[in-house]
Amino acid sequence: MMHVALVGNPNTGKTSLFNQLTGTYEYVGNWSGVTVEKKVGVLRSKKAKMIDLPGVYSLHPMSRDERVVTQFLLTEPFDEILNIVDASQLERNLLLTVQLLEFGKPLTVALNMVDVAERRGIFIDQAKLAEALRVPVVPVIARTGKGCDRIEHTLLEKVLEQTEPFTLFYGEAMERAIERFIAAWGTEEQFPVRWLAIQFYEGNSYVREYVAEKLPEATWRSLYEQAEKEVQQAEQTPLDQLIYERRRSFVREVIEQSVQRQKIARVTVTDRIDAVVTNKYVGIPLFLLAMYILFQLTFDWLGAPLSDLLDAFFAGPLTDFVTAMLEAIGASEFIRALVVDGIIAGVGGVLVFVPQIFILFFFISFLEDSGYMARVALVMDRLMEAVGLNGKAFIPLIIGFGCNVPGVMAARTIEQPRERLMTMLLTPLMSCSARLPVYALFVGAFFAAHQAIIVLFLYVLGVSLALILAKLFSLTILKEEASVFVVELPPYRMPQWQALWRSTWDKGKGFVKKAGTFIFGGSVAIWLLSYVGPHGINVNMDDSFLAMIGGVLAPLLAPLGFGTWQAGAALLTGFLAKEVVVSTMNIIYHAPDVESLQGLMASHFTALSAFSFMVFVLLYVPCLATVATIYKETGSRKWTMFSMSYALALAYIVSLAIYQFGSLLGF
Amino acid sequence: MIAMTQLRVGERAKIVDLSQVSNLVKRRLLDMGVTEGSEICLKCTMPLGGPFMIENYGQCVGIRRNEAKNIQVKPL
Repeated sequence: MMHVALVGNPNTGKTSLFNQLTGTYEYVGNWSGVTVEKKVGVLRSKKAKMIDLPGVYSLHPMSRDERVVTQFLLTEPFDEILNIVDASQLERNLLLTVQLLEFGKPLTVALNMVDVAERRGIFIDQAKLAEALRVPVVPVIARTGKGCDRIEHTLLEKVLEQTEPFTLFYGEAMERAIERFIAAWGTEEQFPVRWLAIQFYEGNSYVREYVAEKLPEATWRSLYEQAEKEVQQAEQTPLDQLIYERRRSFVREVIEQSVQRQKIARVTVTDRIDAVVTNKYVGIPLFLLAMYILFQLTFDWLGAPLSDLLDAFFAGPLTDFVTAMLEAIGASEFIRALVVDGIIAGVGGVLVFVPQIFILFFFISFLEDSGYMARVALVMDRLMEAVGLNGKAFIPLIIGFGCNVPGVMAARTIEQPRERLMTMLLTPLMSCSARLPVYALFVGAFFAAHQAIIVLFLYVLGVSLALILAKLFSLTILKEEASVFVVELPPYRMPQWQALWRSTWDKGKGFVKKAGTFIFGGSVAIWLLSYVGPHGINVNMDDSFLAMIGGVLAPLLAPLGFGTWQAGAALLTGFLAKEVVVSTMNIIYHAPDVESLQGLMASHFTALSAFSFMVFVLLYVPCLATVATIYKETGSRKWTMFSMSYALALAYIVSLAIYQFGSLLGF
Repeated sequence: MIAMTQLRVGERAKIVDLSQVSNLVKRRLLDMGVTEGSEICLKCTMPLGGPFMIENYGQCVGIRRNEAKNIQVKPL
């Protein structure tokens, strides 16, 4: 089957177009870090596969996600390129197009946002643009899918015709350097060696590594130095600047031929919103207000009543129905206990929180799709700069509130390796939605009157500790490079309901899936461990294997206020996924529903020790999936171990301080 | 010729000199089409020495004050 690579600048509607063309459920985002991994979909006609690559401004990579594109071009087999171009930012977008044309694969331009361009007084003659670039240009509206049929048609037709490769003349000195490179390289490649030469001279770091693997260091160094010298002599400009300028003057010629401009001076909706949202004085308060509303909606106004309904259903009709069913088929007491006390208690205890988690993901998707996330980066940059990070690091942190895994991955858009590493290490301190069930359980039992404020405090505690540690890390172990910040602020867009629902579902389904796999399996295992002991089966739970395992940890946890084997066992299993803490507690305390569990817990925890426990759960260790992601993203065992050990130490110290001081103060 | 930080909010200017800006920032600005000769408008500034938001042909970019300080512009 044919493979088409989808390439374009960030914020051009690339992911929307991908969704329209492939009809698959994909994650749509208006923040440039959303497409963090290569995604593959099948075209509606089922005749070709499409690969969605991260949005890039140029093939010359500055951040990790930009490397992905160059790496893809060089190492993966594919047949053609679909280049999405934002009509309202033609110059910038075409600079990338030139680099793709030089790559020599058949290319089709999908011209998006023609309407936005026209409102700004930019009128593009598509036929002339196609003629100037010598490739098909198809206007599309990625949001609605208009023009997608034509794209598909053009893509399928395109591969048949062989066009002459596109070449841009870079001046005598540069051309000689390119020829020397091609001669030194020697062999033919799947792609034009000329392209490789240009990217090499431009300073593309990935291409340089690629070249260094084949050519001896002395060769490529002398090639580069000679080119640098000759170009400097002939043109009085550095190599990379010359290449950039030649491309730009070509692009400007193309625009000259195909674009008509009218001066339209008007205030756009984005200008009006930005006048408030990024206002010097109200910007930050407005962001905090938005966060407050988000949490109130998730936990209080909307989420809590829905969760209560679900809880009542699991505890009442569902349990009764299953018990009756099992009795009817004559199941043994063992099976009944496994299903009702193990599976329904364990999995149900977690599923109850599905409404809250979906509401939270919905609002995070809304913030991403609307374009507000980039403004958050701008508004928060000053604060982040003070702790040695930049405003962009705030986005992974907010995404981390939903789930730490995509949060850690979103750090890829941060250019400086040091800042990126630090963001990845600190994202797990953001209280993800899986920790929510734990808080909900405890605040319901011990802080019924102040639920929202206690939960809010935990979120704020996570963020504050992350900022303090960022400062600490940048003063100690991670202090080399200075921090850098440049962010594009895309126009606001009203998110489409369909796209919002899709991305909410995409993020939330992981949680439901986890309930069906991890938590299901975990619940069964935990229940079995609590049912079986050294002296046989169906033992008193205090004599079970689970009690023995948890008991080992209990003395260590005693200074924190929860030195019971139950707490030890719950925390241990919570490493699998934080919500398993609740499943374990449900099983251990044999509670049919959240309400009676909360009643039972009152005899094992005090308000203070419950609070200390929540703080410990917030901080103690990233869950298994997050640890795996940190390992994948850093590629370093050392930093992965560090992310776990600093969190554990931090959790112990903070919980200890809370419990000991709290006891002294007489709580 | 003045530094970008001396512009008033809402004022338009042409970028004259980017050579004092750090390499990484310059590359990113180039990527977004902001170069010497580009016409920009200072949209807003964040408090306490926070970043600047500039507009160039309808697109907005946020940069830090200490980078803006190194960008020489000519008010229009």
